[in-house]
Amino acid sequence: MAEYKNVDELTYKEASTELELIIRGLESGEMELEESLASYTRGVELLASLRARLADAEQKVSLLVKNDEGADVLVEGSAADTSDELRL
Amino acid sequence: MEGWSLTGGAPRGSDGGALSVSQAVQYAADALDSISQLTVLGEVTGFRGPNAKSGHCYFQIKDASCAVDCIIWKGAYAKRSFELRDGMQVQFTGGFNLYKATGRMSFVARSFTLAGEGLLRQQVAQLAERLRREGLMDPERKRKIPAFCTRVAVVTSFSGAVIDDVKRTLRRRNPLVELVCVDAKVQGEGAPAQIADALERAAAQRPDCILLVRGGGSFEDLMTFNDEALARAVAACPVPVVTGIGHEPDTSICDMVSDRRCSTPTAAAESVAPTMADLESVTAAREQRMVAAMSRSVADASASLDASASRCVRAWSAYVGRLSLALDAFAARPCLQGPRSFVDRRRFELEQGAERLDAACARSFERAGAQFENLAPRLRAVESHIASFRHELDLAGTRLGRAGERQVQSRAASLGGAAAALDALSPLKVIGRGYAIARGERGVVSSVAAVHPGDGIAVLVADGTIEATVDSVRLDADRL
Repeated sequence: MAEYKNVDELTYKEASTELELIIRGLESGEMELEESLASYTRGVELLASLRARLADAEQKVSLLVKNDEGADVLVEGSAADTSDELRL
Repeated sequence: MEGWSLTGGAPRGSDGGALSVSQAVQYAADALDSISQLTVLGEVTGFRGPNAKSGHCYFQIKDASCAVDCIIWKGAYAKRSFELRDGMQVQFTGGFNLYKATGRMSFVARSFTLAGEGLLRQQVAQLAERLRREGLMDPERKRKIPAFCTRVAVVTSFSGAVIDDVKRTLRRRNPLVELVCVDAKVQGEGAPAQIADALERAAAQRPDCILLVRGGGSFEDLMTFNDEALARAVAACPVPVVTGIGHEPDTSICDMVSDRRCSTPTAAAESVAPTMADLESVTAAREQRMVAAMSRSVADASASLDASASRCVRAWSAYVGRLSLALDAFAARPCLQGPRSFVDRRRFELEQGAERLDAACARSFERAGAQFENLAPRLRAVESHIASFRHELDLAGTRLGRAGERQVQSRAASLGGAAAALDALSPLKVIGRGYAIARGERGVVSSVAAVHPGDGIAVLVADGTIEATVDSVRLDADRL
């Protein structure tokens, strides 16, 4: 069985894709019981991580600007202002 | 012109009084004819196409406060480069004309061209058509934009409100989307080149897609996005581009060549990622699917285990049943049923044997007794034979004795005579008188040829034997 990467190292999309593949594997019904148990455990771990990310998601904004040498660099930008959310 | 003065007083009639209508109209017509060729900019109104019979076009041109009839003769209209439509801003070149029968003044246009925004729109339409023919707008060219873009570049002006709209929209909708914002001038001189450069820089950040957005504005403001070089840059961008330029129903060429066109910047931002609620329901659905699949797996495994268990039980009881039947069969065997029967059978066999032996013995004795009784008379008969044989034997014995005696007597007499003769001739008698007999290896030596010097010889004399060795031999010629 493939070694699993640490869930925290996966991006949301990677974790989401892996979860979908695990579910398809489980749904295929072709796994050994031990294998499906291991997959299920991994799936639960991924689900928990995905849920946590959904709950704690914070917008990340960066600005692409040129530095003194004229090369592109990413600098942290401010997330959207939420003070006016009611207005929207 | 007689009596005509632009600055002077009005012309008068021949009688110094009023002019006739014809005179007055002619007067006006002459005045209009004296105006040189004009170019007039106006909006087309009341245009219904060329007249069905004559082929001439009759409509009006107007501006904010005035309007005038306008005529384009069939020949002039045939040379047009675009179709006239109401609302168009058009430059007409021609002159005024007065139709004397009605006294109506018209502007007769010999040629016309689009003007202002109309001209721009025409140019844009031509560019769009060219790019469409090149295939830049083909649906199959449009790349698929992931349903959930987690890294999105935004190319727009940082000075407008649009950048904040996009940030706010995505923060509210899906804060998991990471934004990389790239500043670019979106209108005015040099804007297309800046945007094209910003697209290239944004693409280098390898986002899932690029949002090219701008707020609403006038047609001229949005002309930046109708720039051919920028349109080509959008089409060539290595990352899919989503446009949200101006507001519905504005459509720019950039919209046409982009991979997805949205009507507003906010709509564009919303199109790149699902809402958090959607993600949550997807996650919940996945959890259900996973739990269901796992339960099914376990249930299947359990069912197959149950099936195996019942097969096992069935197989075991069948096996035990077979063993038990075999055991029963063994147990039913008489030897185990009652050990005595075994002994009884042997005893029965023994008794049978004893009976058979008794019977056989009795029969045997009977037979032997009968034979024995038969033998006695036969034996007695043989006895008389033996007496006669004995008598014959006695007689033969006597005769044999007598014949033997006779034979011995005659042989004894002849033997005595032969012995006396033999005794007289015996060499031993001769030896007694001093003669000797020499014996070599090959018997009695009767010639010198029989021995050789060195041979051993035995010399027999009257009272014994002398062992000697031949020294030499000599043939006596006189004794031959």
